[in-house]
Amino acid sequence: MTEYTKPLPLITDLSRVFYDGCKERKLLYQQCRECGEVIFFPKKICSNCMSRDLEWKQSQGRGKIHSFTVTYSYAPPEFAKDTPYALSIIAMDEGFYIMSNIVDCDFDKLVCDLPVEVVFQPVTPDITLPKFRPRPPAR
Amino acid sequence: MNRFRGKTAIVGIGEVPTGHFPERSFVDAAITVCEAAIKDSGVPKHAVDTIIPIGVVSNPLDNANVVCSWLVEELGLGKTAKSNFQVMSGGSSSANALKTASSLVLAGLSQAVLVVHCDRLGTGIDFNAAVTAFARASVSQEYEVPYGWGQLGLAGLLQQRYMYETGTTERQIASVVESLRKWAALNPNAMMRKLRTADEILDSPVISSPVRKRTMNVLADGAAAFIVTSAEWAKDLTDQPAYVLGVGSRCTNFTSTQQPKNYHAAWGPAADEAYTMAGIQPKDVKVAEIYDAFPTFILITMELLKLCELGEAGRLVENGHTSPGGRLPVSTNGAMMAQGHTGAGGGVAILVEAARQVMGKAGERQVPNADIVVETASGGVGMDFHVGVLGREA
Ligand SMILES: [Zn+2]
Repeated sequence: MTEYTKPLPLITDLSRVFYDGCKERKLLYQQCRECGEVIFFPKKICSNCMSRDLEWKQSQGRGKIHSFTVTYSYAPPEFAKDTPYALSIIAMDEGFYIMSNIVDCDFDKLVCDLPVEVVFQPVTPDITLPKFRPRPPAR
Repeated sequence: MNRFRGKTAIVGIGEVPTGHFPERSFVDAAITVCEAAIKDSGVPKHAVDTIIPIGVVSNPLDNANVVCSWLVEELGLGKTAKSNFQVMSGGSSSANALKTASSLVLAGLSQAVLVVHCDRLGTGIDFNAAVTAFARASVSQEYEVPYGWGQLGLAGLLQQRYMYETGTTERQIASVVESLRKWAALNPNAMMRKLRTADEILDSPVISSPVRKRTMNVLADGAAAFIVTSAEWAKDLTDQPAYVLGVGSRCTNFTSTQQPKNYHAAWGPAADEAYTMAGIQPKDVKVAEIYDAFPTFILITMELLKLCELGEAGRLVENGHTSPGGRLPVSTNGAMMAQGHTGAGGGVAILVEAARQVMGKAGERQVPNADIVVETASGGVGMDFHVGVLGREA
């Protein structure tokens, strides 16, 4: 693996659970045991009822592109040599939103609400990032 | 009657040209706009007892120093000032400073509040450092930082979804820039004063789809200031104060991933509250000074302010209604797209322009009968939404 020079996520006791999940190819989110609220980004306290009784759940890894943008220039400096790349906010089927890149795709064919699925990309021995790719139509 | 409505007023404004001025020092620009605002207001210097410097983004030392009463000393206010403190919420600092200043005056804790913004994003910071600074703030370090988000990416995400949901065309988005350039051509303090047609704007390369080079804003140096006093005193100070008739706000999120997907449900109440407090309806608005950062946000805000139906804003702009001479003048200083992006100062420039229109001091771009002017602001990645209503009668 060539040296990875782009920014890596900050690892905290909370984000470690998420990235340990990614290493095992599991996309984790949280749900409140008190009120059922779906929570992402991971939190210590329920965004709805302030309960601390939150459980980790595994997402099926499927969703739709809420929006996307293909960056060709003026990228943040660490990303300049990777242009063009697609940045996206994805609406997951479980009801939460996640930011990522859309990969393995023809940028000209991206549209909002396009179905996508997670793919896991190991970038360092410790960090695997969840990326997304267009989902083939159901057979 | 609401206890806030019409009780305070903006009585003086000051501004220096926005642009690239490597020879203009931070403190020179800052004291120049303060001096102009104080003289414009007629408030005696000793009555300016509270100084609110907005956050400086380009230089942390300049920011530390304005927090530590630098401007109090430079302006010679040290014998009479009671407080110097910062209000900072990025692009919405103008709105939060207006709420803070008005509340202090209304409570009798201050006679006259000086709000000042100065920054040097054009020449006071290396361009890459500025891009990096903007690409790191308001971004989740745990869950967003690995993916190449930046301010232009944000603009792309917002424009893409807005076009998809409303059927707004790229040409209509480009028309926003055309309209803002027409206003900027009439504004000696604006940076981008060259007229551009929508077609010329579309004829520029895609930077972060669907955002093009000429639908980006440009970082700039700039400074502006305003003075708030009681409405009672304002009547004696000046022939035409800009009375603060209504304010409304919603603060919703930190990251762009968690930004409300339905802006109207999340931020619409800010406009409703401001209108209700002011006792006006959308049809009463003569000028809308809308905070942009990028053109799509002008269209979204026109809809949030109920100045048109959902999805209709682009057509209104394309048909010239928001341009000089149009029936709904929007962002008459050219906004950040044409006046220039001065960091947290974009909102201050918008608020100062709203006061300028109400006070009848907008020169060539003065809108006749600007008796009710609405102004907006938003900070971070679109973390909040603020609406203010200024008017000629308390
Ligand atoms: Zn809960």
